[in-house]
Amino acid sequence: MEEEQVLSGYNPRVMRRLLSYAKPYRLLAVIAIISLGIGTAGDLLLPIVIQRAVDDSLIARFTRIPAEHVIEFRAAEFDDAIVLSGATYIPDDKLVALSGVDRIGLTESGVLDEAGYYVFPYDDALTSTFDGSFGNVVTDTGTVDGRQYASIDAAELDELSDQQRRLIRGDDLSELRRTTLVFFVLLASVLAFTFAQIYFMALVGQGVMKDMRMELFSHTIRQRLGYLSRHPVGKLVTRVTNDVETVNQFFTDVLINLLRNLALMIGSVATIMLLNWRLGLVTLATLPPVLVLTVFFRERAREVYRKVRMWVSRVNAFLSEHLSGMSIVQLFVRERKVWGEFTERNDELLRANLGEMYVFAVFRPIIDLLSSVSIAIVIYYGANFLLSGVVSLGVLIAFVNLIRRFYQPVMSISEQFTILQSALAGSERVFEMLDDVDRIPDDGKRTSPRPITGSVEFDHVWFEYKEGEPVIRDLSFRINPGETVAVVGYTGAGKTTIANLLTRMWDIQRGRILLDGVDIREYSLDALRTVIQPIQQDVFLFSDTVGSNIALGRELSKDELREISVLVQAGFIERLPDGFESALTEGATNISTGERQLLSFARILAHDPRIIIMDEATASIDTQTEQLIQVAVGTIMEGRTSLVIAHRLSTIKHADRILVLAQGELVEQGTHATLIAEQGIYHNLYKLQYQDSTIT
Amino acid sequence: MLKEYRTLVPFVRRYRWSYIAGIACLAVTSGSQILIPQFLRRAIDAVSWGGFDLRTIGVLMIQLIGVSIVIALGRFGWRYFIHGASRRIEAELRARLFEKFLMLQPSFYHRSQVGDLMALSTNDMNSVRMASGMALVALFDGVFLTAGILGILFVQSPRIAAIVILPLPFITGLILFAGRFIRGLFLKVQEGFSSLSQQAHEMLSGVRVIKSFVKEQFFLGKFADSNAEYQGRNMKLVRIWGLFFPLVSFLAGITTLLLLRYGGEGVILGSVSAGEFVATLSYLEMLIWPMLGAGFTVNLLQRGAASLQRINAVLDETPEIASPPDGVRVMPSTAISIRNLSFTYPGASASALHGVSLEVPEGSILGILGRTGSGKSTLLRLLPRTDNPPRGTVFVGGVDVLDYDLKTLREAFGSVPQDTFLFSVSLRDNIGFGLDDPDETLIRHAADVSTISRDMQTFPDGWETEVGERGITLSGGQKQRVAISRALAKKPRILVFDDALSAVDTETEELILNQLLSERSATTSIIVSHRVSTLAAADKIAVLDQGRLIQYGTHAELLTQDGFYREVSLLQQLSEQKTYTDPEDI
Repeated sequence: MEEEQVLSGYNPRVMRRLLSYAKPYRLLAVIAIISLGIGTAGDLLLPIVIQRAVDDSLIARFTRIPAEHVIEFRAAEFDDAIVLSGATYIPDDKLVALSGVDRIGLTESGVLDEAGYYVFPYDDALTSTFDGSFGNVVTDTGTVDGRQYASIDAAELDELSDQQRRLIRGDDLSELRRTTLVFFVLLASVLAFTFAQIYFMALVGQGVMKDMRMELFSHTIRQRLGYLSRHPVGKLVTRVTNDVETVNQFFTDVLINLLRNLALMIGSVATIMLLNWRLGLVTLATLPPVLVLTVFFRERAREVYRKVRMWVSRVNAFLSEHLSGMSIVQLFVRERKVWGEFTERNDELLRANLGEMYVFAVFRPIIDLLSSVSIAIVIYYGANFLLSGVVSLGVLIAFVNLIRRFYQPVMSISEQFTILQSALAGSERVFEMLDDVDRIPDDGKRTSPRPITGSVEFDHVWFEYKEGEPVIRDLSFRINPGETVAVVGYTGAGKTTIANLLTRMWDIQRGRILLDGVDIREYSLDALRTVIQPIQQDVFLFSDTVGSNIALGRELSKDELREISVLVQAGFIERLPDGFESALTEGATNISTGERQLLSFARILAHDPRIIIMDEATASIDTQTEQLIQVAVGTIMEGRTSLVIAHRLSTIKHADRILVLAQGELVEQGTHATLIAEQGIYHNLYKLQYQDSTIT
Repeated sequence: MLKEYRTLVPFVRRYRWSYIAGIACLAVTSGSQILIPQFLRRAIDAVSWGGFDLRTIGVLMIQLIGVSIVIALGRFGWRYFIHGASRRIEAELRARLFEKFLMLQPSFYHRSQVGDLMALSTNDMNSVRMASGMALVALFDGVFLTAGILGILFVQSPRIAAIVILPLPFITGLILFAGRFIRGLFLKVQEGFSSLSQQAHEMLSGVRVIKSFVKEQFFLGKFADSNAEYQGRNMKLVRIWGLFFPLVSFLAGITTLLLLRYGGEGVILGSVSAGEFVATLSYLEMLIWPMLGAGFTVNLLQRGAASLQRINAVLDETPEIASPPDGVRVMPSTAISIRNLSFTYPGASASALHGVSLEVPEGSILGILGRTGSGKSTLLRLLPRTDNPPRGTVFVGGVDVLDYDLKTLREAFGSVPQDTFLFSVSLRDNIGFGLDDPDETLIRHAADVSTISRDMQTFPDGWETEVGERGITLSGGQKQRVAISRALAKKPRILVFDDALSAVDTETEELILNQLLSERSATTSIIVSHRVSTLAAADKIAVLDQGRLIQYGTHAELLTQDGFYREVSLLQQLSEQKTYTDPEDI
């Protein structure tokens, strides 16, 4: 497990490229963002609704302007002013336009009545409960829009019965019920839109992830074999799976939440300013410490987070490596030393984790503390303003609520920045891999326009896997259509390499390889590989059914499969519990080596190539299966050009021609008879009568 | 479920003071938190009744800030103590797990996958930590904060309290119910993920077949199906999981709504003060976390128990290969004697060795030849007890290997296994791996004998070159030579080469063997090889076939016998050609 680079810093190029993957999903993204907007707006409206309820229903007091001052005060110009018996009643929250000084002055000079009043409509049902004392209890009465209204000193109300209070404040009560309904509708729409935002953004994130994973996988599978052998499969798989997964995280966890939190913070500040700009300014003045602290914290958080990630990956890498190499550790009696090395890393990880814990343990409580300080300051100044009528009680309550809403996202925003960076680092690794193009050039135009006759020619071919270590040296030979040619030689003589070159798994450095007289690079890769197919030494089988391992995606009927299996002597398939439908386990451990060999023959017959390259298995196979293989080999070679990398002399003997390879060079060539006559290497081999034994 | 937590008991006992201090801090925090809305209530009431003194409000607010400071300190305190303890427990438990890993035998590693064992140390440790830390906090808050707040609410206005708390149990219920449901969906997503990984892994491993048969499209199609399936499972999870937090907010909103409706009515009718209304609003907000917490506690504890169960399963394993009590700590000689040894791997149907008897006198060389699967490696594994031989079959210096102290026995051996495993450290550290005190001269000398020192200048950082995961930056021959140096550096009394020169060219092989022979003096050696040129140096050669000893004698003797050894020998004499390592190993 490599140490991933956790935080590479913010990289706008990576960000832009990542966002470009979202293009096909922009409609969904727009829906998600609109939902986000509506949901956030709803969230911010909730405190406003409560404020309205407090001011318009719960408190809902009026200030009385006695008749003699109505004209001078121009009381009629106030909104919702009600005139009863000459006195004018103005709702308290409509008086906020007055400055505090004015208000105190006016109250002292008797223009404003000091007491608070309720103004209410009344009828007989109400008056009858007072036994005629109604007129004594109320202050003024009058008719507004054809309804009878009365006013009452708020202090008087406490003396009345519950029923009377209900009747007097009936309008406020029904107003409260309506507000409650509005509140519910808001809650429900916040629920709906928040869910919509999450759902649609998930569709975007998942879509992008799916596309990117597909692109990366198909890119990888098309890389040349050299690239794939250079990079450990585990690492490639991690890129395709885990790293691509961070991309989804970027969209669903980071991007949308970052937007949402920013919207909430900006929204709460905006709402605060709209509700009351004076108290709003006071609130704003309390915010700078949190901003400074957040910036400071972000730096610290990034640092500790990087440390944690680093040690997590070191501990994991150490663990995974030593679990794999446990036998070496035990064989060398290194348990104590390795234990020491592990605890060192584990302790470092603990230290990093504790370091992270300290940072968060300090930061979170401080943010909460700052939020409380803000609230305390706002309440103090708010009380001051309230005293002078600049704000209403409802507004003050709404402020407390909105300040809490502002502080809530502060914490998660700083965390999201950190995740954002790790998501970007993941995408960067994916992009790097996508940009590393290492393929066999496939610009051959020939797509086998005419039937291939099947002649193969190596013309002064040179090849090396590693620079300076040629594996094939100036190799030239020709195989005629339908001929069977055996290649013999020791391990490392370059036999297997010939198969790799012929199918262009690797490209040669010098010389030419001709198929039907045409350079193989002039065929398209697909065409070439459809014509020439290999049978590998160690057969790779997928963990799928026997049938699909033969067909590899070709549409083959049961009968065709059966016919092929009979031809290659793979009678064992019919004896498997589910025949062709039997599942092979990973690594096909549930069938024998010989049977795997037979399956690979079936695979060849199912694809019917013109030329086959067979790398004979070296592993020991039981005698019975061995005989089946001999027969099957005869069948599949019939009518095809065959190149056999031979380990069994019996196979070699049946070949039309034999190439003896050493050190990547052709040292002897001829038919069985001519080579025997030459008294060279082959002659010695034959003399040994080394039948059925294997050279390992 | 709770019995799985027994593993944690000693840890919790060790950190009891941390836990006690943490819980004390938590209690202070929760208690102080309950006070905050009271300050709000008094301030609002003063304001709404009018005629208040601004100084009263000022004093109240300073008190509020004071209490907030206490809360902040308390919050820091419980995080410090409880998270600190749970982090330490996590680290110690992980170390204990690793200690166990070091003692377990190959059969354990054979039946477990490295990935699963890794998960124990990562995911499972996480959930144990959560169970030993966060679950406790959530439980405490769930019980005490809830009780405290409900007490105050009911004292203030029982009727309203009874109504507004109605939705709260639903929050806890939602977590308990949805938790289980979501977990099922979550597991499905994980399954999808691992099947996707597995498929990618298989296709990339079998990429040669895919390319050879021009099946890129077909396999990409299959991968695309799994990819889409995985996406589908994710969306299924989102459909439920995405609803979870909005639903919690909604339920919390409903409590506010009930307060607005019934508390508001109380304010209108004068039975509830405006301050009480605001305080209740705050209290309800404060209740949401404990309600969530109560549900989380149950989930965390369940998850922790499941993880502990898996961890306990490993901790409870008894190492099959361990030192006997009072094991022999002195190896009198290194003469090896194998007497009628038969061995069958547990669970295997056929035996790997049948009645093999061999004598290797001290200081001599035994060569072994045989095909793949003939039992050579098994024989070598039984000597240092990588697997346990039956009693009375394998003796070193006249003592049954089972009777040795394991450390004494294994320290006598210098092994080069067939499958070369190097650690991703520097070349120097790999060679000095077996040394307690990595002595520079020993390391250099071992590197000279294996001829890896010749290659040193070609490595970017010489001796300090990191060899990468499993030595990926080295060629097969280089890896083998590093492994040979590693075995030689510890100056073993018994040297075991399991086909250790297979990837080295014959010329180098000869060089290595000559150097080895010239200085091994009293070292007893066992060399498995497919090359007769290597085996020729041995004093005696054993030929194994299907677990049986079929030929046994000196090189000269075996050459005159008709049989496997002579066949192989003649065949290999034909070409003295230098062979190359084959770098393609996909």
